[in-house]
Amino acid sequence: MSNELLGKYASEVFAGLVAPLEGVEVSAIPADDPLAKEDVLVRMNRELQRALEKPASERRWVMVIDLRRCIGCHACTIACVAENKLPPGVVYRPVMTEEVGTYPNVTMKFLPRPCMQCDLPPCTEVCPVTATYKNEEGIVVVDYEQCIGCRACMAACPYGARTFDYGYTYAEQAPTFDGVVIGGETAAGYEHASQEYGEAWKREGHSSESPVGNVRKCHFCLHRVKDGILPACVTTCIGRATYFGDANDPDSLVAELISKPNVVRLKEELGTEPRVYYIV
Amino acid sequence: MLKKLSYAVGALALLFGLWGVYIRLFEGEQSANYGSYIGWGLWVAMYLFLAGLAAGAYMLAAFDYLFNVPQFKGTGKTMLWAALVTLPAGLASIGMDLGHMERIWKVYLQPNFTSFLTWMVWGYTIFLILIAVSLYFAFTAPEKKAMKAVMWIGFVVSILVAGGVGFLLGGNAARLYWHVGLLPVQFPVFAIASGAGLMLLIVGWFMPNMDEKQRGDLLWLLAIISIATSVAKLYFLVADYTQSLYGGVTDNLIAVNYVLNGPYAFMFWGVQIVIGLLIPVIVLAQPKLAKNGTIAGLMGVFLLIGYAAARILIVVPGQVAEMMPGQAEAFYGPKLTLDYTPSLMEWSVTSAVMGFALLGILIGMDYLLAYFSRLTARSTEVKK
Repeated sequence: MSNELLGKYASEVFAGLVAPLEGVEVSAIPADDPLAKEDVLVRMNRELQRALEKPASERRWVMVIDLRRCIGCHACTIACVAENKLPPGVVYRPVMTEEVGTYPNVTMKFLPRPCMQCDLPPCTEVCPVTATYKNEEGIVVVDYEQCIGCRACMAACPYGARTFDYGYTYAEQAPTFDGVVIGGETAAGYEHASQEYGEAWKREGHSSESPVGNVRKCHFCLHRVKDGILPACVTTCIGRATYFGDANDPDSLVAELISKPNVVRLKEELGTEPRVYYIV
Repeated sequence: MLKKLSYAVGALALLFGLWGVYIRLFEGEQSANYGSYIGWGLWVAMYLFLAGLAAGAYMLAAFDYLFNVPQFKGTGKTMLWAALVTLPAGLASIGMDLGHMERIWKVYLQPNFTSFLTWMVWGYTIFLILIAVSLYFAFTAPEKKAMKAVMWIGFVVSILVAGGVGFLLGGNAARLYWHVGLLPVQFPVFAIASGAGLMLLIVGWFMPNMDEKQRGDLLWLLAIISIATSVAKLYFLVADYTQSLYGGVTDNLIAVNYVLNGPYAFMFWGVQIVIGLLIPVIVLAQPKLAKNGTIAGLMGVFLLIGYAAARILIVVPGQVAEMMPGQAEAFYGPKLTLDYTPSLMEWSVTSAVMGFALLGILIGMDYLLAYFSRLTARSTEVKK
């Protein structure tokens, strides 16, 4: 019995594991199959390469977040922490969670909140030493060697998008036993390897080469973008709810999305002109 | 006796404070309780308080040198000295709050003039210089035009820097509790109010050799100023809070309820209102009590405590409302909280600052001012 069964189905089961035989046709994925569609990441990546060919001042980086697709997995938050080696107490892109309704009609709403990269940012004008400013591409950046740590920008940001680096490390309590547990020192080395703004930042001490004592914020992963890689939160989003690109490119996905009427920006009444759009 | 007690209190405060200063300078800010959501805490509040005190002391010095109010005659130098001590104390408090205090020079050499903080740093530096120059002229040429000119400039600057502090908070459109048009207007009133409180203490406790009649008259005038400014302050407070409660905007309600019924309710009702306002106003309204140096000095202390509490109750509640709903629960980590009670280290640093200010005023009054008087008298004789 079992031999008969194997004889009947074995050729079909293993057919996919061997090279196609000469003369055997392999059918293509049907056009209506979801796998046949191009992943938006592929499209955004292509558009990113196109945008990078333009002068920096002609790009208008925007982020679009489709709240209908966000499942509140926090993968973007963690990807950002991992990418930027964020220490404890520093977060660039938390996801706000809100419970709506009363039992049994209850649902959860999620709101990922990166820096809004406002076109009229209240945080930059309050900085007494121009340590935070909009760069050529319109991204609000922080110069870690210039910031005096007054936290005026934190008070001014209407989105709470800035946190202060008080010098904590995840590894500081980790044990190390020679030859047994590599813990503390190895982890410390990992934490010290932030590549934000395309520079290698250390966390030792309170030196000018360290972000400790500074206000920190999301910068749309500029160090990745300049190398043609999408921001970490975008590539990590399992629901494909976060989109990134050049809104000055009329054929880009983001330009297409933000032209729709179901797009909102947070606290528009404050006149900050955010560059993060939410699809609702 | 009261002076000796004040010396002891100042010395103990400074001694306790040295521990906090050491921790802050050598171990950083981790043991402070302000964080990323409430980023400005006790030290910022004490900066507002002490800088306002300096401005108020200068305004009251002008009562002697500019407006020639007879009751204030001979007190100008002392008040200028008090301003010269309290302003650096305030700047030290805000300096400790900076993540990179060693970069403060950048505000002078690489300033951003769209920042109100830059204007304040420059403004207070100019004010400090003006206080020092005024004091110099007070010894060398109190009757000359130069003194009057400097005092007039200083008087105007003292109002501007006091109001500027209000703008520093009020300019933040994102913080509804601060973003009140009248905030910059209120601060010069707070400044003169706290200056009067300080002067009640100084005249009541530290100037035993003053002419009894003048002292009584001056204390009574200071009592009237204190009552008037306290009432004005209460009026601002009631106007702000009723408007916020009536308007019902969520962020404002959170902040006002935080003060009235929340974790800072005792500081508001007990310290700011009862100790800092009701008791002094009731006591000082009675001429007999107000003219008694011991009692007037004590009321000065009460008023100052009330004004310091009021600064905390302006700075902290302005930050307790979440900027985005769900922010406090979205990500966990050290200092990502909307709860704030100053840590022991923060109190210790504030203790050092206050101890420095108190001892500075006392030592200046007892030794430095007399020394400078002798010095200038001698140089005048030599010239003759």
